[in-house]
Amino acid sequence: MATPLDLDRTTGTALPRRSHQNFETWSWLFMRASGLILIFLALLHFTVTHLVTDVARTNIDFVGRRWQNSLWRLFDWLLLTLALAHGLNGVRWSVDDYVRNPTLRTAVKGTLYTVTAALFLYGTLTIVTF
Amino acid sequence: MSTEAADTTGPATMCPGRTVGPSTVYRGRSGQWAFVLHRISGFLVFAFLLLHVVDVGLVKFPRAYNEVHALYGNIALRLFEVGLLAALLYHSLNGLRIVMIDFFPRAVRSQKQMFRIVLGLTALGTAIGGFVIVDPFLTGTLGL
Repeated sequence: MATPLDLDRTTGTALPRRSHQNFETWSWLFMRASGLILIFLALLHFTVTHLVTDVARTNIDFVGRRWQNSLWRLFDWLLLTLALAHGLNGVRWSVDDYVRNPTLRTAVKGTLYTVTAALFLYGTLTIVTF
Repeated sequence: MSTEAADTTGPATMCPGRTVGPSTVYRGRSGQWAFVLHRISGFLVFAFLLLHVVDVGLVKFPRAYNEVHALYGNIALRLFEVGLLAALLYHSLNGLRIVMIDFFPRAVRSQKQMFRIVLGLTALGTAIGGFVIVDPFLTGTLGL
């Protein structure tokens, strides 16, 4: 993904390289930033719903009590959003690496984006309208 | 970076690989295994997340929600949760290792030690968390 050196048109010598922040640069940075936040969000979520509370107790009443607090709703929605976006981008990188057939790659990515977008809307509706 | 054995175009002398038939196998050792495990654990957590959004969505239908969540208490799904914890811990800790290497380039010198620490902490955390998750089933106190 390295861009060729910019050359001076008359002398042909290399110009100082400018940084090009394209979509993939931001995608790389997003994975680091969201990853760091997700370590906190995901591990705390797992601790609350699997370790502190036995999983057999996470019934409808448990969810009801927790979501009375808007901060937990915000926490869960942030976790949903960041985890889906982080996972989507990670799978996108893997699809680019391993699915070599262009038609198949487009189809796989299309399905991936559609399913993720649908589940993002469904999850958001679940949290907001409970 | 493709780990598929399809690239036969590059000069073999430039690849730290082993020739198997007409193709080349990349041998990156610990860094490569860290990468492979990162992809696998990430994919598994993402797949679980998609499923999890659907099962939590059942809160709109309380009876169905409780029936589905009662399943999470059985031993097979408890072991599945231990696996999820292992994947989460590995992906989190190795993610930190990657961030260290990306933002502090000199950290690459200790990438192997960091990989061992990642594996060690993952094993330790999974063992402790796994005990907490499975214990109620073994002692018959299912938290009900």
